[in-house]
Amino acid sequence: MIEDQAREDIAFIRRAIEEGGAYATASSPEMLVWGIMLAIGYLGTYGFVRGWSPVAPGALWAACMGLPWLFSLRRLARGLAGRGVTNRGPMAQAAAMLWLGCAIVLTTLATAAMVTGEARGGWVSAVVAGVMGFGVFASAWLVRLPWLRWVGIAWWLGELALFALRHRAEALPLAAALMLLLLAGPGYVLLARRGRQAEA
Amino acid sequence: MTDFDHAAIDEILHSRVRLAIVAFLAGAKTVDFTAVRDATKTTDGNASIHLRKLEDAGYIAMQKRFVARKPQTLYSLTERGRQALLAYVSHLETLLPAAGNKPQDPEVNR
Repeated sequence: MIEDQAREDIAFIRRAIEEGGAYATASSPEMLVWGIMLAIGYLGTYGFVRGWSPVAPGALWAACMGLPWLFSLRRLARGLAGRGVTNRGPMAQAAAMLWLGCAIVLTTLATAAMVTGEARGGWVSAVVAGVMGFGVFASAWLVRLPWLRWVGIAWWLGELALFALRHRAEALPLAAALMLLLLAGPGYVLLARRGRQAEA
Repeated sequence: MTDFDHAAIDEILHSRVRLAIVAFLAGAKTVDFTAVRDATKTTDGNASIHLRKLEDAGYIAMQKRFVARKPQTLYSLTERGRQALLAYVSHLETLLPAAGNKPQDPEVNR
């Protein structure tokens, strides 16, 4: 009996540590960085389309996707080298890998769409929003943050709105707003809840 | 009968809520009050009482700051708290059969 209780207690401790590790993974600054940079990309593209900005979308997106990638890869390398924040437990690793997969899908899709000219069709932003919804919704379960599910659902509503507006330039500021509200915003909230020293 | 020593049990960590808080902080490093309360699925009052006891025991450290002009209380595990958790887990492991499944938790054993 006492052995069963000891096993149960150890499993309880393991789950609690795992939950803490998953929380730390969710509270990374990547959501904030990616959200802001992608919003700049959309707003810059809108400015170019409207004639307000001379910066070509290709160069702009190279910077707006390249810089966050550098940031994420640097963190990943630090984690692999045993410095910085490392992923803890299988759930935290699953959440990190989920987002890595989403980032690869979206980067390759966006790059291919821009190279082939398909990006002008306007559907890419809707697909991006759909993938973001998938990533956020799944992460909410993995890191046990119920409120994050609603952010995922909001992304899917945004996906529908972006698809409806796919032939209009107004889809670009809408996509930028989604990035700020539904990616950078939750990222800021999670970071604020976690504390300032975590990613130093 | 086992050689279980009741006196060796850490009374501070013997509470499920306090044990959950310490273990959660071991994984999360530094988090605010809301995160601790949500993770332990307890009420504001209950969480406050247990956090105070852990703080008084020196197992956790509390830090206050302002975020967007709102007060925020952050908690983190101290070295003493980490050692207490390690000792608690070690004590539990002594209760398991030697040839049994000895848990290997990289976080606990770090």
